[in-house]
Amino acid sequence: MFKVNEANWDRIARALLGIVLLYLGFGGVLAGTLGIVVGVLGAILLITGLVGFCPLYTLFKFSTKK
Amino acid sequence: MDFFERLKQAPLPVVVDFWAPWCGPCRAIDPVLKKLGAQYAGRVEVWKVNADEQPDLLRSLRIYGIPTLVVFKDGQEVARRTGAASPDALATLFEAALSGQKPAQVGPAPWERLLRMVAGTALIILAFQNNTPWFALLLGLLGLGVAFSAVYDRCPIYKAITERLKKPVP
Repeated sequence: MFKVNEANWDRIARALLGIVLLYLGFGGVLAGTLGIVVGVLGAILLITGLVGFCPLYTLFKFSTKK
Repeated sequence: MDFFERLKQAPLPVVVDFWAPWCGPCRAIDPVLKKLGAQYAGRVEVWKVNADEQPDLLRSLRIYGIPTLVVFKDGQEVARRTGAASPDALATLFEAALSGQKPAQVGPAPWERLLRMVAGTALIILAFQNNTPWFALLLGLLGLGVAFSAVYDRCPIYKAITERLKKPVP
């Protein structure tokens, strides 16, 4: 579908960080707007980590995958 | 001539199709094999062995179901596959015949399966902790989807459905 542009360590780090941020944002730790922002950020990290494709990287023609 | 003798003398790698006339899946993969055989002509041979006629051979190769495709290179078994398979999966067998290497495992790598499993479980747990009903439902479904993506290629129901969907409408 997309060309994978993240190394494996990158993907694992994203997914784990994404889960943590999702928990902070939507698990009831952070409330209000901050919680939503952190939660959405976590969701984005988790999805880009699982898919292995980061749209931001392509904008800058950057890749952590060798 | 004995099968193994012939195999030893075969100049090319061989994909052997163990089949039987009464076996539906065998007939299903037959046209694909013919096509691949033509595509790899001069590089890989395709042999057909009627399982009913050579039960001893099947027993000595420990083949207990048909269709079974066994790939031999230089007289040595490289790979085998039992059951009907997609054209792509069959093509990997021909590639294995050329390279003499076991075909690469298809589907996500083990660490990726684990990652998806963990992420999916985390999302489901999160869903139970969330007290906005629609959002919890969304998270839960997403979690189920992610967790399922860890094992989707092992799921027979998923396989049956996607194969049905891929079949061209007559």
